Amino acid sequence: MKRLFSIALGILTAIGGFVDIGDIVANAETGARFGMSLAWVVIVGVVGICLFAEMAGRVATVSGRAVFDLVRERLGARVALVNLVASFFITFLTLAAEIGGVALAIELATSVNYLLWVPIVAFLVWLVIWRVKFGLMENAFGLLGLALVVAAVALWRLGPDWGGLLHAATHPVVPQGEGHPTWWFFGIALLGAAMTPYEVFFFSSGAVEEGWSRADLITNRLNVYIGFPLGGLLSLALMAGATLFLEPRGIEPGHLSQVALPTLLVLGKLGLAVLLVGFFAATFGAALETGLSCGYSIAQYFGFQWGKFVRPADAPRFHLIVLLSILAGAGLVLTTIDPVTVTEYSIVLSAAALPLTYFPILVVANDPDYMGDKVNSRLTNALGSVYLLLLLVVAVATIPLMILTKAGS
Amino acid sequence: MSGRVLEAGLHLLDRQLIDVDGRLAGKVDDLELELPPGGGPPVVTAILSGPGALSRRLGGRLGAWLEAAANRLRDGDEDRPARVSFAVVKRIESAVDLSVAKRELETNRLEAWTREHLIGHLPGAGDAPE
Amino acid sequence: MRRSWVVAVVLLAGACTGPVRSSSVYESKAGQTAEVVASAVQTALLAVDAAEHDQAYGRYLTQVLVEAEEDAGSAQGVFDGIQPPDDRADELRSHLDDLLTEATGALTELRIAARRGRFAELPELARPLPEVGRRLGDFAEAHG
Repeated sequence: MKRLFSIALGILTAIGGFVDIGDIVANAETGARFGMSLAWVVIVGVVGICLFAEMAGRVATVSGRAVFDLVRERLGARVALVNLVASFFITFLTLAAEIGGVALAIELATSVNYLLWVPIVAFLVWLVIWRVKFGLMENAFGLLGLALVVAAVALWRLGPDWGGLLHAATHPVVPQGEGHPTWWFFGIALLGAAMTPYEVFFFSSGAVEEGWSRADLITNRLNVYIGFPLGGLLSLALMAGATLFLEPRGIEPGHLSQVALPTLLVLGKLGLAVLLVGFFAATFGAALETGLSCGYSIAQYFGFQWGKFVRPADAPRFHLIVLLSILAGAGLVLTTIDPVTVTEYSIVLSAAALPLTYFPILVVANDPDYMGDKVNSRLTNALGSVYLLLLLVVAVATIPLMILTKAGS
Repeated sequence: MSGRVLEAGLHLLDRQLIDVDGRLAGKVDDLELELPPGGGPPVVTAILSGPGALSRRLGGRLGAWLEAAANRLRDGDEDRPARVSFAVVKRIESAVDLSVAKRELETNRLEAWTREHLIGHLPGAGDAPE
Repeated sequence: MRRSWVVAVVLLAGACTGPVRSSSVYESKAGQTAEVVASAVQTALLAVDAAEHDQAYGRYLTQVLVEAEEDAGSAQGVFDGIQPPDDRADELRSHLDDLLTEATGALTELRIAARRGRFAELPELARPLPEVGRRLGDFAEAHG
């Protein structure tokens, strides 16, 4: 019975923790501009993250070491350093975006300017990382993030033309008046949001933090294969809401407040309140994860002690890096650059760096020295290779498309 | 420890160092080699660890930048990278297991400094994670 | 290498103030501006609708209206800063400016009322918005 409970908890946490500020912004903006014509990208992204997260989790579970840790051993110091620099930069940018997102969510509830919340949010993020037990932290924010389900509930309550939505999603057509390059650019951004690199670092380091062993391999698979797709459905719910309410009116949701409109127009004040809780939990949880990931990536490259599973005094450089990253992230937001803009850049740059961050995972997961008999199956390798090819194409296309479409404007 | 012929590139470099308590103690960033007096292949006498060691191995502009950063972080008087004598290497598998505790290693200097001067001062630093 | 970066920065900068070389570029900028302001107007209309049906908290509504006003105002400001290249552009400019001023005027009124907690007045203040929103939308279609 207890086992069932812990499995359920893991799945629910995975669902609630899937969406972050990047997904919120990307899905709402895409739905408002292109309807459901890019919904297929979310599916592609979810399958991709499931594939690689399962690999990363398996690597950590079987070898007892996190993926990044092993990347340097397997691919050498130079290649791993390039990987580190790119991954750290993007994770840091994502951290700043999440901190901004939390501040925006609180602003919506309180009407107090988001900039005033930034220092408080930064402090709270650091404090939770410093003091709160890893498992408790993950479960609390994962479960609280389930509040985003209200966006799907609103859809269901509305009773829209499901057939029409499904048709639009399965027959992707670039809407009238929009250019193909812009359509592809938004697709790339959506993919970047669904497969943001920090998710796999965090997932594999988290497996070590929680002391997973071979017995937990099944739990790993369940969390990933059930939790993440359901989390992806939440993203699609945001996209559909934007399609139904914002697209027909030509509203472009450049603000978090506009993303909430579909939910409150169906479910009223209660729906709005629950959604705001969901926004807060999703962004705060992601801030915790990206903050920790900043520490994980550097510590695992250089080999010094990391993790919340030891006393903070035993991992001083790790905690210092986390602290400095949070401070710098908050600093970036305090320059009054629009947090939504930071988010947009973080997901696009993520897309550009995806092959760099995912390729090592595929390599490590195939190494029998670490994995024993739990190396990738042929199917996994086939799918993984296909994805890497896709991610390479995406990465190469990202910057030119960004310049060509003026970042989607 | 009897001599074991290893391909240094594949089997030693970039591996994780783990101390006797299971704590992570850095990576094998470089190796100190000595030519035995009677001839024969070079013998590894020590593991070099830390950004100073890594920067020398990476070379080029990347290495120079890393070396500059390392110099800034170093204690001051020591000019050479931190050295772990090969005598304390207990076992080499996927990681390199050492027979001593982390605090006895030169590689621990920066970690100890960070603990003493920064992180250690924060309330709760010494609290067990459970 | 440096030159391509400069080009990239210029393109990414989006709106440029100062003279715009061709009339068609000016026209498309006018269209984009109309689009942005139309979006703000429609957002405000939804917010007012929500207020009428008591579907949202006062704080949230105020935030939405403040943002709508800011978006419209800054879009107008950026557009006004662009030097029109010729007479045809001048006409376009004055036509759009009329619409923009009407929109931002109403949005400002809405913001002021919301900040004062006078949500009951919102529907009345929002009266001109559907029409100006429609005209902005038409303008954006024609010139975007």
